[in-house]
Amino acid sequence: MSSLSSTRRAVFLRELGRALTAVVIALVVALIVIFVTSANPGAAFQTLLTAPLSSNRTMGLWIDDVAKLTLTGLAFSLVFQARQFSMGVQGQVYVGGLCAALVAMSPIGATPLAIPLGMLAGMIAGAAYGFIPGYAKARFGASEIVSSLMLNYIAILVVNYLIRAHLAPPGTGQLMTAKFPDPAIFPAIIPGTRFDLGILIALVATFVVWFLLYRTNWGLKLRLVGHNPKFAEYAGIRASFIMVSAMTVAGAFGGLLGSVFVQGRAFGNLAQNFDGNLAFEGILIAIVARSRPLAVPFVALAYGYLRQGAQLMGIRTDVPTEMISVVQAIIILLVASSFSLPGKALLARLTGRRTVPAAAPEAAK
Amino acid sequence: MIELLMTVFSATFFVTVIRTTTPLLFATLGGLISDLSGALNVALEGMMLIACLTAVIVSVYAPWYVAVLSGICAGAMLGALMALFHLRFKADIILVGFAVNILAAGGTVFALSRATGGDKGTSINLQSKAVPSVNLSFLEAVPVIGPALRSLLSGHSILSWLAILTVIGVWFFLYRTPYGLWLRGVGEYPAAPEAAGVPVNKVRAWSLIASGALAGIGGAQLAMFNYIGFTRDMTAGRGFIALGAVLLGARHPVGAMLAALLFGIFEALAIVMPNLFNWIPGEIIQTIPFVVTVLALVLFSYRAQRARQLKTLSKI
Repeated sequence: MSSLSSTRRAVFLRELGRALTAVVIALVVALIVIFVTSANPGAAFQTLLTAPLSSNRTMGLWIDDVAKLTLTGLAFSLVFQARQFSMGVQGQVYVGGLCAALVAMSPIGATPLAIPLGMLAGMIAGAAYGFIPGYAKARFGASEIVSSLMLNYIAILVVNYLIRAHLAPPGTGQLMTAKFPDPAIFPAIIPGTRFDLGILIALVATFVVWFLLYRTNWGLKLRLVGHNPKFAEYAGIRASFIMVSAMTVAGAFGGLLGSVFVQGRAFGNLAQNFDGNLAFEGILIAIVARSRPLAVPFVALAYGYLRQGAQLMGIRTDVPTEMISVVQAIIILLVASSFSLPGKALLARLTGRRTVPAAAPEAAK
Repeated sequence: MIELLMTVFSATFFVTVIRTTTPLLFATLGGLISDLSGALNVALEGMMLIACLTAVIVSVYAPWYVAVLSGICAGAMLGALMALFHLRFKADIILVGFAVNILAAGGTVFALSRATGGDKGTSINLQSKAVPSVNLSFLEAVPVIGPALRSLLSGHSILSWLAILTVIGVWFFLYRTPYGLWLRGVGEYPAAPEAAGVPVNKVRAWSLIASGALAGIGGAQLAMFNYIGFTRDMTAGRGFIALGAVLLGARHPVGAMLAALLFGIFEALAIVMPNLFNWIPGEIIQTIPFVVTVLALVLFSYRAQRARQLKTLSKI
């Protein structure tokens, strides 16, 4: 038992070390890029690293992002654990957001039922939207990557059309709906910030996904299918059912994220292109967290900080927010690959013992 | 309805179809090569986008062919990057591909704002050039069908003609040269070519590079002929549609061409329809290529599955 827990600890430390090294390398590259392109690189880099902590408001923005990143990371983790590359979270966010908004704008929106029913509507819509590529793959063998990506584009276009032509207040030319009635918007936990119900939903969802994956029959089968589909098939597990159900459940979380988006304090209405590409960043969260649900919120916390720093850097300095995509790509490339830490062998020789991976980032310099 | 048919069977519509098909066809051929070598290249989208921006920026300072070449190089370098991480560092090819897509989506906006001094959406302030179109007005002299021939064949981008040559070239390479056999063997069952002494990883790396180069030409055509200049996210899913076209084309160059042509026709329809049916909202018309891709993919996969089942049944 103790040897088991010590190997788990070693694996954890190794993964942590790899993630930290990836972040450090990515930040060094970001620093170089900022130095080459910015007129005032010091201020830009400082904003990137410290701005999210500068006020209550920015901390609220950060935590709001963390909640959303956690949910999209969970949705991606679920399908990645089944080794399905369904990329449909963005589409699910849009249909989920649309259905939650429809509930909030209906007469129910003024009653206390608005929040639970809105979330439920979002989840059902997202699950249905996640079911389509799953079913198409299980029944017809259609590649889930292509079909889910196409469904993303379709969902965005249709939702944007509905907002423009039908849901926006007529005659204003706005590309968003009117504010929802108060009972339909998540209450703030700390007044005056965006620190709202979303973060609690994200934490509960984390627990639910962990429970589903590691404490239920279905989760065991799902992970088996992901690890070794042939073995799972021989063991009598219906891989196609697991495939479809994994994508459907992940879709429900995607839809829930849609509801958190539109009903959260950040929006409180349905706007065109509301997701700001956040839904896709769940790929990064899931990869860095190695698709482990319990690691997802921590990765989201760290990544959300970086993301918010980049947003504020885009607003306050001359370096555009999009610079962060360089950091994202490097982190994904490094974490997904089995690179060995540079200088590890040298360090081992110097100290004469096996290196602790977490100490390597310093050694890398 | 009659107006739609009139439009569809006109020469201008044909020219539009060729124009919309060309970038898709290059990307599809790129996807085909990497798919046959055993790597699903989901980064076609990002490769095209980066090639678009590279071609546009280079074309400000250099002649158009240098710009196209630089687009090709940009795609090829991304292919090499994917090969490095996939083959050397053993990263999953799909994750590497999405890393390239993320890099492309944000990196192009970043690079554009650096290149133009702050413009975040488009390269409207850059004096970029276009790929010249081929003028075949001498065909007019052909008796009887001359004018029709001229209106159908004249005015296409040079790259469209290159695309047809590329289809033939890719076919010849894959099915008539030893290297093509290597490539298909590596994708089919890597252990066999490995045992025969074929450098499997080298073949894979070069097919990813070729894949990127082809996507790069597609990007150059998109940004220097279909549109003149760069707009953020201008590839708008074409790389992913190309991925579908590879599967739909039964993983064969000629099939890939037909599939790209099919999606090109629907994209062209999405371009002409707003003028004819102004009661259909633009967003819904824009979904047509994506809906068609999903439907075509499902139908084709179903047929392929049936064919496989029949094959195994006949063996029993």
